[in-house]
Amino acid sequence: MEEIGLTIDGRNITCNAGTSILNAAGENRIKIPTLCHHPHLEPAGACRLCIVEDEVSGRIMASCVTPVVPNMAIKTDTPSIKKHRINIIRLMMANHPESCIVCNQGNRCELRNIAAELGVGLIDLYPMPHYMRLEEANPFIIRDLTKCILCGKCIRADHELVMVGAIDYNLRGVRSRPATAHERPLEHSTCTFCGTCVSICPTGALVAKNTQYVGSPTKEVSTICGFCGVGCKLLVGSVDNKIVDVNPSHEDGTVNLSTLCVRGHFAHDFLNVDKRLTTPLIRKDGELSPVSWFEALDLVSERFLSIKQTYGPQCMAFLGSSKCTIEENYLFQKMARVSIGTNNVDNTGYFSGRSVLRRMEEKFRGGDRRRPLAELEKAEVLFVLGANPIQSTPVMGYYLKRASRMKNIPLILVDPRRTDMMPFSTLWLPLTPHSDLELINALASILYRWGAYDKDFIDRYTEGFGDYHDSLSSLDMDRVSHLTGLSIQEMESAAELLQGKRIAFVVGHGVLQQRYGTEAMDALLNLALMSGSIGGDGRGFYFVAMENNEMGAWDMGSAPDFLPGRQPIQEDGERKRWERAWKVNLSPHEGLGVLRMIEEAEKGNLKALYVMGENLVRALPHPDRIARALANLEFFVVQDILPNETTELADVVLPGAAFSEKEGSFCNLEGRVQSFVNTVNPPGEARPDWEILADLGTRMGSPEPYSSIVKIRDEISRLVPGYSDLAKSPDQFWIEENSSLKLFNSRKEGGLIRFSPLAQMSDEEQDAKNPFVAIVGSLRFHLGGGTRTEQSERIKSFELKGEVEISNDDGRQLGVRNGDSVTIESPFGSIRREIRLETMARPGIIFIPKAFKQNEVMNLFPLTNSEGADSIGFKEIRVRIEKNSAT
Amino acid sequence: MKPKEIDWNELTNIIEKHRNDQWGLIPLLQDVQEVFGYIPPDSIDPIAEALNIFPSQVQGVVTFYAGFSLEPKGKYVIRVCRGTACHVKGGRSILRLMKRELDLDEGETSPDYQFTLETVACLGACFLAPTMMVNRSYFGKLSPPKVNTIVAQYGKDKRED
Repeated sequence: MEEIGLTIDGRNITCNAGTSILNAAGENRIKIPTLCHHPHLEPAGACRLCIVEDEVSGRIMASCVTPVVPNMAIKTDTPSIKKHRINIIRLMMANHPESCIVCNQGNRCELRNIAAELGVGLIDLYPMPHYMRLEEANPFIIRDLTKCILCGKCIRADHELVMVGAIDYNLRGVRSRPATAHERPLEHSTCTFCGTCVSICPTGALVAKNTQYVGSPTKEVSTICGFCGVGCKLLVGSVDNKIVDVNPSHEDGTVNLSTLCVRGHFAHDFLNVDKRLTTPLIRKDGELSPVSWFEALDLVSERFLSIKQTYGPQCMAFLGSSKCTIEENYLFQKMARVSIGTNNVDNTGYFSGRSVLRRMEEKFRGGDRRRPLAELEKAEVLFVLGANPIQSTPVMGYYLKRASRMKNIPLILVDPRRTDMMPFSTLWLPLTPHSDLELINALASILYRWGAYDKDFIDRYTEGFGDYHDSLSSLDMDRVSHLTGLSIQEMESAAELLQGKRIAFVVGHGVLQQRYGTEAMDALLNLALMSGSIGGDGRGFYFVAMENNEMGAWDMGSAPDFLPGRQPIQEDGERKRWERAWKVNLSPHEGLGVLRMIEEAEKGNLKALYVMGENLVRALPHPDRIARALANLEFFVVQDILPNETTELADVVLPGAAFSEKEGSFCNLEGRVQSFVNTVNPPGEARPDWEILADLGTRMGSPEPYSSIVKIRDEISRLVPGYSDLAKSPDQFWIEENSSLKLFNSRKEGGLIRFSPLAQMSDEEQDAKNPFVAIVGSLRFHLGGGTRTEQSERIKSFELKGEVEISNDDGRQLGVRNGDSVTIESPFGSIRREIRLETMARPGIIFIPKAFKQNEVMNLFPLTNSEGADSIGFKEIRVRIEKNSAT
Repeated sequence: MKPKEIDWNELTNIIEKHRNDQWGLIPLLQDVQEVFGYIPPDSIDPIAEALNIFPSQVQGVVTFYAGFSLEPKGKYVIRVCRGTACHVKGGRSILRLMKRELDLDEGETSPDYQFTLETVACLGACFLAPTMMVNRSYFGKLSPPKVNTIVAQYGKDKRED
């Protein structure tokens, strides 16, 4: 790129052609005041504060929108520039209400700060504020557009970063303000309450609605969001050990840039609820009563050791959590494997994808682990299957929307429902639920027939393509068309978009949790190998992860069949290495997974269970059955932050700390490991989970006391492949890929990746008794089962009812209207909900949002998949619907 | 009395004509304004969908330009010039007379949706001052009797409807 030389404030500077004067100055640490500029937004030149003077031409120009020209002699702070800036600020202040004393923005107000810097106190102008109605009906955002200075940052953030388009300029002149379509209140607009506009607003025009505290926080610490798997970096403000404010971190290079979602921004008020667990509890005479840590931990270690002695280690199980940190998951599985001696260790990440993702792990052996979302914008074509990240993992959704709308990358959407992704898709394939497998096979078959495959890639890195394409050519396309409900023409137009392209696959829970999940995953891997779409740079796989440390928990061996570093337990070499490191003998047999734990507890074979940070009763179907199974245990320990359905059944409850109250690290869905320190202290006597585990470990005879988090990190980085950077405790690092396969190996030698044999769906019978397919999914306001988000005051007062969505036609046939109560019944259970008719919904398919009413929707599913499939099948189920009589 | 019912088929035809046009928003809005006399608020969402932009952006453009209106206007839109030349030549009296004749204030539409009275900064026909426009027709060198004749002429039209 061409370099340009100029002077700014007398300093000789070179920069790339096309750089704005403002950025050129910024790169050289010359500060120019701005109000409307933001590094993540396109420059707008709205506030004019960044004016500078060119001594050569004498021109005064807005530096944010003026590119550098050779030999400019820029002055940023001449007396005339200063005079102009002061006048701009005076005019803004004349138009601004004099309400600083009651303004939430307080000392964070950029207008006030710049006025102070320029020495503007009294403005000597007649005040002419343009009063607008204050809007604060929703529980998230207060809009006081009287304070708006028309910098347009909120509008640009809305259009360029989160791509919701809820607001734009309305009217003109002095009446101009950002407004929603039809000037509706935010809660009736398309606004998703991501709060990005709130964080970016320079004045108090947009502020978060805080009920407990109004004003500037006294302490701000950056940390990682504790909700979904995107791992957004937060700046958390606190006052008196209470979290009062959450914003996206100002750092560069974070996954979320300046964005967040409604959960990250507004739902963390759940941490301040009074009902947090604050002391250890022991069941005495049937009641949980507070005891000292000493007593509680003594009891746990004694009982664990005696149960191990009496029944053997295989009668004990450990259920960790993908919400807890990397360090904690490592200690937790080590306690199971070393102190007790069992592989009965798991976490609920199994439900949200691990059962399917392990197929990929088995194939790639540690390769393709880094999946930076930023690379989605470099993709040639996006192939989105069963994923609606706009609701489930919103920040990932922003990436997809930007790639599609701003980079014009073709996006193929495969989803039975018309989701929020639809407007951003080039082609929507509304297939029959769980027929993804057949569609992918068909696409591979069409592409093979057209000769559209990467022969070079296949020859170099794979094996078994011959057998695979032989079976492809025998595929009966009419059968596929019948099973998927898609015409051959539709499939061919998808193949046309994929043809000759490097594909970025975005896979969500529609595939990860469906009945044919593993088979669909195999088919996708075949398609990826065939098209040479593996190896990063905007090709390969991007998975939706619902929980913040799903990847990290798996990496730390919180699984019955994997050792830390995702090493399969059956493999002798790796197991021997861990045996030497831990100085124990490890069983080569797969332990009990979470579902088997419940089954074994039911049979009375499991005697003790230690649950860390999971609300098992709520996350699984049939709470009564789970509760009965757990009651069978001789000893049941739960470590959590909130009292919930599961802690009520425990013999010992240990109060842990939330992510904001401890040190630790999470690995996000990109393979980015981010470490953080505590923002506030745990409430009452609650302690960081790793401390509790370390204490328990010592009591149970672990030879190495973990006195600090550094010691745990040292051990992980020494032993766990991919994590050697953790010991340096950097803010973040990318997980190392260490596959021996030729494709992932820098020396380009090593093993080849084998194509999987073609799998197909079995024929399905019509189920006339259950005419509807119920698809279960998340809304952006709740995460997972909703144990935490339902405690948020803001989410609570938004009063979502979680209505079931049904198509207009089906609704009419059932004789139901909006708001009617219905019973939805599957062969396994039934629930009651209100219903909502949707014009755009497809007939025959209903949508039930998760996390409402104690997450009762899980009752529609069987606990274990009777067909014995690997996949979990918690995504969709056949149901019938009946209208409840109005009583 | 209600404004003319919107012919949704016609609106759909206009929208379809511009579907996926890059920079097609203003030509589309002009067509809608021309045919219906205003931009029906219910058309904002389908217009946005057709052009692959956000409804708020459509509204932003509609409310920015004085040539677009979100409210139905009268059959005859009268625009009285308030430019300097017209002012000197007695434009203010013409406006006062119009207000009295039509019983409307600036920016108002008669309840029977026959007339809308507006003012403009300059019609660019200063040599004819004082001037006004009725829909697309110019009327210049106005005097009170002439204004009465014009109003009567359009008023007669009304009875023929």
